[in-house]
Amino acid sequence: MNCDELRDHYELYTLGFADDPELSEIRAHLERACPTCVPGVRGARELITLIGAAAASVEPPARLRKRVLASVGGQTASRWNWSPVWAAVAVAALVAAAVFDIRAHRASSELTQASAELAQVQAESAAQTRALARLNQAFAILNQPNVKQVIFGGGAPQPPRGRIFLDPARGVLLLASNLPPAPAGKTYEMWVIPKATGSQPVPAGLFQSASDGTAIHVLPGPVDVAGAAAIAVTIERAAGATVPNLPPVFAAGL
Amino acid sequence: MLLLPLLLAIEFGESDPDLVRRLQRRDPRAMAELYDRYGRLVYALILRVVRDGGIAEDLVQETFLRVWNRVQGFDAERGGLGPWLLAVARNRAIDYLRSAAGRMRNSVELPETEHPALFCDMEKELLNSDRVRRVRVALEKLSQNHRAVIELAYFEGLSQAEMAEKMGEPLGTVKTWVRTALKSLRDELGTAVSA
Repeated sequence: MNCDELRDHYELYTLGFADDPELSEIRAHLERACPTCVPGVRGARELITLIGAAAASVEPPARLRKRVLASVGGQTASRWNWSPVWAAVAVAALVAAAVFDIRAHRASSELTQASAELAQVQAESAAQTRALARLNQAFAILNQPNVKQVIFGGGAPQPPRGRIFLDPARGVLLLASNLPPAPAGKTYEMWVIPKATGSQPVPAGLFQSASDGTAIHVLPGPVDVAGAAAIAVTIERAAGATVPNLPPVFAAGL
Repeated sequence: MLLLPLLLAIEFGESDPDLVRRLQRRDPRAMAELYDRYGRLVYALILRVVRDGGIAEDLVQETFLRVWNRVQGFDAERGGLGPWLLAVARNRAIDYLRSAAGRMRNSVELPETEHPALFCDMEKELLNSDRVRRVRVALEKLSQNHRAVIELAYFEGLSQAEMAEKMGEPLGTVKTWVRTALKSLRDELGTAVSA
């Protein structure tokens, strides 16, 4: 097909609505850097993007900037402090932030994702019950004032990333991202690695990551945090293992 | 007064490629610049999709984190940061809607990384309130059905088949509405988009 015949399909392609043969033709034109179709589709993407930008203008809460920057370890100074109004907003945001734990914010984001996953399995009451129990266990761990927190995955190019929360009485909570779904017939297994020489890794439960690479796993109940050297995750057969399959997908030192 | 920071960002801020390079160097101040430049747009878009302030805040944070984590693979010379950020934001929000509704992943998803050259530099267009206002006017000029299919496609991520089911109309009718609506927007905004 020539470019004139494809012109009316650029926006449909950008929205994901193009059907064959136009879909295949546009892809082929883009692959060969067609001087007509590349700018044509680019213009279509501009149009579609502007639809998104046309959503009713809403001022985000001032605390959101601090929260976003805190999540990447950034500074949180406001750029709006030239205005007394904005200064007042900034002060209010700082006061709010002081009483609102950023760590709980991030965990809440992950748990929101888990809640969304839960909605997908509402028809399966048993699975729903298990998921609710997991969330309750996660909240129970997060709510402990002296919970130990470990961040893992920084530095490597595309590592699994996340946080591990440990409470001696309540257990271990793992929040991870960049964790691709385990291969067919396999599962992820968490391990508590003891400090004591000669001690074997302790199995800490099986879990799967979501399709977007996020995962939440809870090991409920008492755990010897003081005697643990690391938390590790391995890929095991679906039934799990009693001895870890090395090397681990990741290990977080405590 | 609220427009002044945006105008300052347009006139005196860094270009997107410079900002991308600083993000790739893991400079947290670049993230502040990115948020100040696009945070309001991202929040408004996500809130329009999920219609819940608390969830929107979570998804805004996820959006900026996703960009922060993936910016190493972004070619600053070939694509615009703003359109990419909005595509990520929109897809995160639609993902949330799908999960909450238990919908399958057969709905419309805007590509985030394929053909990066197609993410043109449209920083000024995105931050230009007059340009955005013209888009709003063009959307309002559409007939009710035409505007509905555009909004269902963009803000709810529905496929044409899902739209037909939701609206109780034949699939062919919905496809015609989509095509006509997009052509109307293109004709109305052609100069605005390419300016």
